[in-house]
Amino acid sequence: MSYPSEGNLRRAIAFVAALGIGVATYIAVEAAGGDPPACIAGSSGCATVAKSSYSHVAGVNIAVFGIVGYALLLASAFFADDLARFGGFLVALGGFGYSVFLTYLELFKIDAICQWCVGSAVLMTILFLLSATRLIAYAGAEGGPVPDRA
Amino acid sequence: MSEGDRRKQLLQLAAGAVFLAVAVVLVLIVINATSGGDGGDTKLEGVKEVNRALNGIPQSGMVLGDPKAPVELAEFADLQCPYCKAFTEDVLPPVVENQVKKGEVKVSFRNYTIIGEQSLPAGAAALAAGAQGRGWNFVELFYRNQGAEDSGYADDAFLEAIAKGAGVMDIGRWNRERAKFTADVEATTAEAQQLGFSGTPSLAVEGPQSDGLEPIETPGSTGDLEAALEAAQ
Repeated sequence: MSYPSEGNLRRAIAFVAALGIGVATYIAVEAAGGDPPACIAGSSGCATVAKSSYSHVAGVNIAVFGIVGYALLLASAFFADDLARFGGFLVALGGFGYSVFLTYLELFKIDAICQWCVGSAVLMTILFLLSATRLIAYAGAEGGPVPDRA
Repeated sequence: MSEGDRRKQLLQLAAGAVFLAVAVVLVLIVINATSGGDGGDTKLEGVKEVNRALNGIPQSGMVLGDPKAPVELAEFADLQCPYCKAFTEDVLPPVVENQVKKGEVKVSFRNYTIIGEQSLPAGAAALAAGAQGRGWNFVELFYRNQGAEDSGYADDAFLEAIAKGAGVMDIGRWNRERAKFTADVEATTAEAQQLGFSGTPSLAVEGPQSDGLEPIETPGSTGDLEAALEAAQ
């Protein structure tokens, strides 16, 4: 089976992680200002989700954890060694698993969908697939700068 | 360690991590599925139906619909009143579907407590749910589970079950705040009396063509209600 070059996978991870940082930062900034993120088409889903008790863990808005997770994934894209491959995979796995749980909560407990949360879940799913592909294809390979590995 | 051994070890660790993650997510879902949000120990009817029907419609306090909608339908009601239940379940839904969702009309629920002494705390409980964006979920779920008129069923346990079923997320806050909304229930009851209402449900409409909040005859059909709303536009 042929895989994309690790350089391309790292660039894709960096791009999607940067988008994720943008989305999570927007949610966190709006929440810090006391406003829910604005939903498209006037839907109240974002406000309902933001007001729910599930929006915070240990008093910290979960968007903050999202920022940290995306930042770690962005950092993992800058290194071509096993620590970055495996660490990035673990962070993406945790983010993907938590996104699945949050989507379950939105659908079956909160009964509201926040478009920004769905956007973040999609980005985290893409990052999980990219990180898993990177690990499966390149685990154990010698590290090196992107141009040498591509 | 050779490259092959290191690769094998990493992939084994990754497989273990995936297994662990799936287990953790499943446990979290099972724990959440079996706790709260469904009315606790009290068996409620229509939890999913009510929350799904209202999903996506803006709520601000006890106002259902876009706060900037040009026409407001004010419903003065007593949560224990069976006619209010019938109006909300039989006459109102097409208006919500056709006019509220389009941003043409907003509906405000205003307590007019006339049935019995439990109507006041029930109304305050609805307003406390409204403070958390679930006021109409509370009202409609209350109606779905309404007991015999003034039979004493609307006690604290019933109200808390309705609040949980309606999706009020912070039940502690809801419990702390609901007493302070008693004054608001009394205020809307006085407002209803000033408008000359003597029974529930009583309705009033305010729009570009009306002079403030104008009482209308309680419609027996959706068509009558839509005609009254059209006249106010």
